[in-house]
Amino acid sequence: MTLELDELTHRYGSERALDDVTLALDDGELVALLGPSGCGKTTIVQAIAGHVEPTAGRVSLRGTDVTGAPPEDRNVGIVFQRSTLYPHMTVGENVAYGLKSGDLTADLVSERVDRYLELVELADRRDASPTALSGGESRRVELARALAPEPDVLLLDEPLSALDTGLRTRLRDEIVRIQQQIGVTTLFVTHDQEDAMSVADRIVVLREGAIVAAGEPRILYESPPNCFVASFLGRSNELSATIDDRDPSTMTVGGSELTLDEAELVDNPSNPLADASYAIVHVRPSDLTIRPVRRPTDTSSDADTPSDRPDASIDLRLSGDRLKTIEMQGTVAHVRDVGHRYDVCVGLDSRETVTVERNRDGVNEADRVTVTAAVSDLTVFPVSE
Amino acid sequence: MSLVDQARSVTGSRRLPPLLVFGALGGILLVYFALPFAVFLGRTGSVPIAETLSETASRTAIRNSLLTAPVATAIATILGVPLAYVLARETFPGKRLVEALIVLPLVVPPVVGGAMLLSVVGRFTPIGAAAASAGVPLTDSLVGVILAQTFVAAPFVVITARAGFGAVDERLEQASRSLGYGPIATFRRVSLPLASRAIVAGVVLTFARAIGEFGATMMIAYNPRTMPTRIWVDFIAGGIDAIVPLALALLAITLVVVAAVQRLAGVPTVVDR
Repeated sequence: MTLELDELTHRYGSERALDDVTLALDDGELVALLGPSGCGKTTIVQAIAGHVEPTAGRVSLRGTDVTGAPPEDRNVGIVFQRSTLYPHMTVGENVAYGLKSGDLTADLVSERVDRYLELVELADRRDASPTALSGGESRRVELARALAPEPDVLLLDEPLSALDTGLRTRLRDEIVRIQQQIGVTTLFVTHDQEDAMSVADRIVVLREGAIVAAGEPRILYESPPNCFVASFLGRSNELSATIDDRDPSTMTVGGSELTLDEAELVDNPSNPLADASYAIVHVRPSDLTIRPVRRPTDTSSDADTPSDRPDASIDLRLSGDRLKTIEMQGTVAHVRDVGHRYDVCVGLDSRETVTVERNRDGVNEADRVTVTAAVSDLTVFPVSE
Repeated sequence: MSLVDQARSVTGSRRLPPLLVFGALGGILLVYFALPFAVFLGRTGSVPIAETLSETASRTAIRNSLLTAPVATAIATILGVPLAYVLARETFPGKRLVEALIVLPLVVPPVVGGAMLLSVVGRFTPIGAAAASAGVPLTDSLVGVILAQTFVAAPFVVITARAGFGAVDERLEQASRSLGYGPIATFRRVSLPLASRAIVAGVVLTFARAIGEFGATMMIAYNPRTMPTRIWVDFIAGGIDAIVPLALALLAITLVVVAAVQRLAGVPTVVDR
């Protein structure tokens, strides 16, 4: 293990910033530490770098306990959210700075500065002043400066947060390329789930100072282990469901009743639904489809709901026995055109609201609609009493 | 002209009156600064400047001031800059008290400050007596002048340098630590260069205050005469015209030092920082 955090706890005064964080990074791994602002991400970075001494717990680098060691003895590279390039030095001197603290000869330092500036494709800016660099260039110089001393671990603390969207995406790809090229073990700290999903081999989700989930990005996204991850990692609709343990057990969600013998429903084998009478159901806006209800004789909206229920599990467009669906009735509250798609907000008859992502126009405000979801796309979290 | 432009020009013309009022208020102060200065300088024509300055008493005063003020400034800087750094970076119990202590010499009238100093280093106090018997009298000596100047002038460099260090993002120092430099090396290579403008400004202010120091100096070391105490003596004896030569010399020295220090440190202006 290149980096190990062992039951790390930190308090600022009486406020608990980190609570028993245990985490290990393998050699060459790129792990994203993801969480909302104020969740303790930066405290973790500071504890690893040695700028904060944790209240309890241990930090190990390459098998050595460094918890009490000062930052300069740790060999940790760090890039902060805001630029920390030294304005009184040139770009080259900035990159050389971390090399001159060691015992390299001047020739070796100069050669390494060239190599790392080439790595970030800024070899021609060696004599420039950091103040003359663009936002993206200055990020890349900082990356070169942090990497030049060949640290055991690279810590990136929200490195993209201050950049605008286009630049951000490009730099993100650049970071992944550089990380793969030199294979440095990297902890990428971000509050942005898209950044985390796109760069990381593994995501660790932090909430209120504690780790609430860890795993491969795709797996965390598709089967989130808890409600927080479901709603934090990507967009999600949250619906409450009631479970009736008559034989056969049924679950009612969004006004639609579902027989509970579906194997795919029980995503969470450790939390059998049978014991719960309530559950929270998450479904992604992109997994919902919407179609207008055409029923010219009905004008009263209340009359629709019960009569629609019996054929809830039949879906024409998704025909095939493999996919069961639920259907929920509702009225379109509003349609947002966000450019590459439409976000349709539907007020369900169960008095809940869901957002549906849709690629075409064609529904309008106040339309009666049926919202359909495949049962396999539902993630169910039983609420224990 | 578009509607927006028209709207702008309307608000633009509306914005002028308040600025005019501000300008007028500031102008009164500027006139109040400039007028005495100009009128005083106007007297130079009727005074034999070169002759007065070449008198022994004047030359001794100039020499004494040039010997003491740089030493006081150096002491204030060497002791004050580290203190400023600690105050900018650390929080500790009693910090407010320390901060109040630093402003104390600014708040206390220099004469009173001198009297306070006298009560510690005066000839008949333990410290003063011990120093005098060791051959280093702390009163009525150049050492006494330096003590008075340091007491009164040192807060300037502490306060200005502290603001300078405070403006250096702590992350820059953290980055330096992670790049392999210890706290002292980081201070020398990062914090100090980045705060240098503010520190130089503080040094200049301290020097100007030290070389012009009168109140505390008068209490501790009325002799040997520095330029300000000589000016006082000349004024008692000969009125305003008598002090014009030394006052001009003091002004000239201060301006030359301020300009030289700024030139050396590459600082364009004192006031801006």
